[in-house]
Amino acid sequence: MFEALLMAISPTYLMYMTIGVLLGLVVGTLPGLTATMGTALLVPFTFGLPTGEGIAMLGGLYVCAMFSDAIPACLVNTPGTPAAMATGFDGHPMVKQGRGQEAIVAACFSSALGTIFGAACYLLLAWPMVSVALKFGPPQFFWLGVFALTIIGSLAGKSILKGLAGAAIGIIISCIGISHAAEVNRFTLNIPELRGGVSLVAALIGVFAVPQVLSMILNLRKEEYVAEYKPEKGVILKTIIKVVSAPIHFLRSGVIGAFIGILPGAGSPIAAIVSYNEALRWSKDKSQYGKGDVRGVTASEIANNAAAPAAMIPLVTLGVPGSAPAAVIAGALMLRGLNPGPELFGTNATLVYSFGWSLLIAGIVVFFIGMLATPILVRIIKIPLRLLAPLIMFLAIIGAYAIRNNVFDVYLMLIIGLFVFLIRPLGFHPGPIGLGFILGPIIEPSLVQALYISHAVGVQRVFFSGSVSIILISLSVISVSAVAISRYRSRKKENVS
Amino acid sequence: MKFSYLFKGVVASVFGAAMLLAGGTAQADYPCKEATFIVPYSPGGGSDQMARRLVPGLEEALGVGVNIVYKTGGGGAVGFSELHRSAPDGCTFSNTVVPNVIISSKGEGVGYKPGDFAYIGMTESSAGTLMVPKDSKYKTIEDFIAAANENPGMLTVAGTGGSGLSRWTQLESVLGIETTYVPVGGGVGKMIPMLAGSHVDGAATGANHATKHKGIVDAILVAGANEVPTLPGVPNEPDWNYVITWGLMAPPGTPSDIVETLNAALRSAASDPAVQDALTKGGYVTHDMTVAEVNAFMDAEIAKYAD
Repeated sequence: MFEALLMAISPTYLMYMTIGVLLGLVVGTLPGLTATMGTALLVPFTFGLPTGEGIAMLGGLYVCAMFSDAIPACLVNTPGTPAAMATGFDGHPMVKQGRGQEAIVAACFSSALGTIFGAACYLLLAWPMVSVALKFGPPQFFWLGVFALTIIGSLAGKSILKGLAGAAIGIIISCIGISHAAEVNRFTLNIPELRGGVSLVAALIGVFAVPQVLSMILNLRKEEYVAEYKPEKGVILKTIIKVVSAPIHFLRSGVIGAFIGILPGAGSPIAAIVSYNEALRWSKDKSQYGKGDVRGVTASEIANNAAAPAAMIPLVTLGVPGSAPAAVIAGALMLRGLNPGPELFGTNATLVYSFGWSLLIAGIVVFFIGMLATPILVRIIKIPLRLLAPLIMFLAIIGAYAIRNNVFDVYLMLIIGLFVFLIRPLGFHPGPIGLGFILGPIIEPSLVQALYISHAVGVQRVFFSGSVSIILISLSVISVSAVAISRYRSRKKENVS
Repeated sequence: MKFSYLFKGVVASVFGAAMLLAGGTAQADYPCKEATFIVPYSPGGGSDQMARRLVPGLEEALGVGVNIVYKTGGGGAVGFSELHRSAPDGCTFSNTVVPNVIISSKGEGVGYKPGDFAYIGMTESSAGTLMVPKDSKYKTIEDFIAAANENPGMLTVAGTGGSGLSRWTQLESVLGIETTYVPVGGGVGKMIPMLAGSHVDGAATGANHATKHKGIVDAILVAGANEVPTLPGVPNEPDWNYVITWGLMAPPGTPSDIVETLNAALRSAASDPAVQDALTKGGYVTHDMTVAEVNAFMDAEIAKYAD
């Protein structure tokens, strides 16, 4: 492992990894250019490099995109990739309060910490962690999705019912198209383009960006800027101290992120959602969450970044990528005639470990590059709304198109956006709808598969046995009842006063 | 020493840029300034791998740049129907996977029939394989059959969606067993951990996957009459009719001379020793077909799934 570290700190490794990080900054910041897209576009350019440098560059892009997607999430309430949705819940309110710099610095520093945590898991705990990951089959994924859904209790605002309805709308839209498991057309209205389903990225851009732009336009007479630009001296150090002085918060977010990251098919977006929800559950003062609590930003960013290196763990141990960008990196290795998995671990462990070190160092590089870029990026809010609104719209359209090179996705993005804009005054929040989009593709196929398996062994044995399922069910029950109790109490208080 | 890589990288990219600029001079018999290669499955998957393997050779043979474009969704149907709508000028082509392209066309309103496309060539195939977890109770196909007969419908077997179901039920009828089929969508990537974690008793997919994941799963039965060299000692079931074949196709109505040009380019790209070596080691059988052979092959395959 020492040899691997020496490899990872050699100048060429560092240089290519840093180039990857810089590209990741761009890819993550632009909604629609996801980490998957970015790595896939970069793969051909790594062919001229030796394997180690090539995958270090791809890894650098991946982890940096998991930070930079927080930038648009905070500044203009549009996540750069699905993984940053939870970051925006508190990040955007912070920006509105003029705490933009604090939000970005917190996102950057916690992303760096999360990456380092995830990479440390990769280097030290790959095998024990992956044996737990294998315990996750269809019923466990179903319960994980259900557990993640309980975050609605914290997102829904005044009405839980509207939160649930919002999530249901999101899940139903995510079911459009040919079903994953049985290849049946659903809700396609005989429109051939809908067979491929609604792209998650395009839908999220629609849910967040379009209503944002429309309300900017409607408020043009009242407001000229997103928020006031108030650069504050010493905010970097203050924010870092704030993050460092909450070690339990860091560990919890890191562990959740790394654990969900290793589950093939779950990935960074779900890691961020679960981590956000747990941060809220365990904190004493919950009143500021969703209104600009920096812990909301750090919980989400630590977890989605820890999930990125962790998604490489099943790849190097089992040969099964833990996320879509990890699948692209797997492809890059296989094109070189290497077989990621037990075989590569056995024959070239140095390469496998040097990749882990590269990811760890990438975390540090992300921090410094992020710090250099923050003062420039934060100035985005100095753009007047009359220029910013069309700019966001322009990027939203390009992003929705870029994800599948399909203009139909742009129409869908606009329709969904308009729909969300129209139902917002009725008390529906974009959060639960976006949550439905992200969780639908996990919950629905795993439920169908688990039901198929239950034909053979019975519903009870499939869904209600095994320690993982029991733990997830209990956590869901606790989560739901805690929300119910606190809502009941606050209502009682209101009635008394 | 390390800096020499850096130097090589810089030199290579400068050369690459120069080649791209000079690439405007297309070969006389290929009319396009550049080509678009539609990959109907996700980045990193099998079709993406195939495209990446072939693109350097295709670019060399055609004399133009080849851009990979992902059009994913619907088990390949989105990319296939996109190709179906594309201009038949030979500048756009896509992966094709048999039987997926045939079975996906049976869905309502897909907008294409497998017979419509202009098939360019088939480059590789892989035999269907039944796999079990490494620590499975069923070490051989005999164990598996005995267990299935003892408890009909109690064993679970994962496969890829509808095409996997049709091939699995065919094996069930050959072996005279009854099991429960569990469809997995979105690629084989999710099937392997499901199997390795013993959430299903078996999984049926191509020998290429059984080869790649040899370390964590065991193959116990291979379709067809020939042993798969990368899976030595695994018994065959000659009556199990399950082969997955990969190739390239162009939109319906592409002129036959351009199809011939593309066929020649594909065959030269696929004959690269590095490509052949990667395929053989990966558990594939390689193919080298003329346009007439591809059409005969497709007619036979379409007839096979005509029910």
